[in-house]
Amino acid sequence: MTYSVVARCPRTGRFGIGTASYSIVVGLYCDGALRPNIGVTTTQAFPYPRNNRLAMNLLAQGFSPRQALNELLANDPHPDYRQIAIVNREGTAVVHSGTKIPTSPGYRLGEGYAVLGDMLVSQSVVNAIAARFESEPDADLEDRLLGCLEAGRDAGGHFGPAGRLPERSAAVVVFGKRDFSDFDLRVDLHDKAVDELRRVYIDYKPHAAYYLQRALQPRNAIPSMEFADMLKKQTAKEAS
Amino acid sequence: MTYSIIARCPNTGRLGVGTTTFSIACGRRNESVRANVGISKSQAFYLRGVDPLALNLLAAGYRPQRIVQILAADDADFEYRQFGIIDREDNVIAYTGPKIGQWAGHKTGPYYAAYGNGLAGPQTVEGIVSGFLRHPDAPLEYRLLEALEGGRDAGGQATNGRHRPERSAWIRVVGPLDYPEIDVRVDLHDDTVGQLRRTLTEYVQHREYYLKRSEHPPGAIPEEQFVAGLSAGPSLGR
Repeated sequence: MTYSVVARCPRTGRFGIGTASYSIVVGLYCDGALRPNIGVTTTQAFPYPRNNRLAMNLLAQGFSPRQALNELLANDPHPDYRQIAIVNREGTAVVHSGTKIPTSPGYRLGEGYAVLGDMLVSQSVVNAIAARFESEPDADLEDRLLGCLEAGRDAGGHFGPAGRLPERSAAVVVFGKRDFSDFDLRVDLHDKAVDELRRVYIDYKPHAAYYLQRALQPRNAIPSMEFADMLKKQTAKEAS
Repeated sequence: MTYSIIARCPNTGRLGVGTTTFSIACGRRNESVRANVGISKSQAFYLRGVDPLALNLLAAGYRPQRIVQILAADDADFEYRQFGIIDREDNVIAYTGPKIGQWAGHKTGPYYAAYGNGLAGPQTVEGIVSGFLRHPDAPLEYRLLEALEGGRDAGGQATNGRHRPERSAWIRVVGPLDYPEIDVRVDLHDDTVGQLRRTLTEYVQHREYYLKRSEHPPGAIPEEQFVAGLSAGPSLGR
């Protein structure tokens, strides 16, 4: 009951995940799933939290994504219930979609990315996510990933016996060259988590550079309230 | 403007951070807590790289007291920073730079530190501590939540006498494993701390089900069935 895209940006080498789920707090499962200059991974459907670090550690040892994936499966008592994707720094992407996942799983592999999901209304959801990802190759990775989640939502998203299931949580996480995230936004509990993630993103984006600048040059920093007021005025001006 | 509580649970050794602030998405800072090593949570005019550096130094064997000196020696703007560090032996240290501006301060205890800047006054820090100490036998995540609620209820943040809202919040608790036991966030909301309580409460209700489903997928009931069975029923929406 989750759909995700994991990707490497071929222009910048950054790694990212976009994920949306009927489960709550899905962003917690991104923990340890990205490592700069190594790769990105996810395990979902029936997630297996230990997989993230194991996959990254194996890639860091020199395993190919295919070998690393095989190791995850060999290490798992229930591999048939997992959906797993791994992308390494060469842009090689692999997917495993277990045969015992009961709820219409689907996936797509592309150049440097993988899309996977379960409890989907149909395969059109992963197709729509992949199409969106490929449609904006020059955009920032976080923009592409958020667009992917919206495409998955608009294609029908999750579906259960009782009908459409809402996205209750969502996350977009991007790592660049540093040991901590470049970008990391989450909605943990909401009845329209993807819409809400867009709302947070619109407010967050103009702040990102400010937060960094404030740290580097505290002596000249504008107070955060003033910055927020400034943005508000600017937005009002643009709207009028 | 931000206020935080960091703590090592005296009963279990679990490490946790709770923080809330006017800034958006404060919970993106996973690098501030490391299982079996400690916590380093910096704020005010924080450099993102400081927390991983401090934790690397803890892991290398340094004491928090020495780490503060190391950080100060390499930072021309050290007087603008605020942070707390706790190691796995309950060495606790907090620092509040004199140039942060607005009211800033901290209070440390035997296994915790509470600190903030841009606050209504020392009563906010007192509120954090008394919230944290209210239920000493509760799970660490709830103690952290009550600390944030205590800070909010004591007046929270203010600049020039004007109250400033909390817009994002975060609670993260790690046990012996590399991945967190609890990590809940509110990235942008007009009742952030209230929403954090709601999210944590629902997550704790789901958590056992999620763990079981991961470890023993065969026979797991579908999540919508689990959700329907929650006694109170899930309350969705903002």
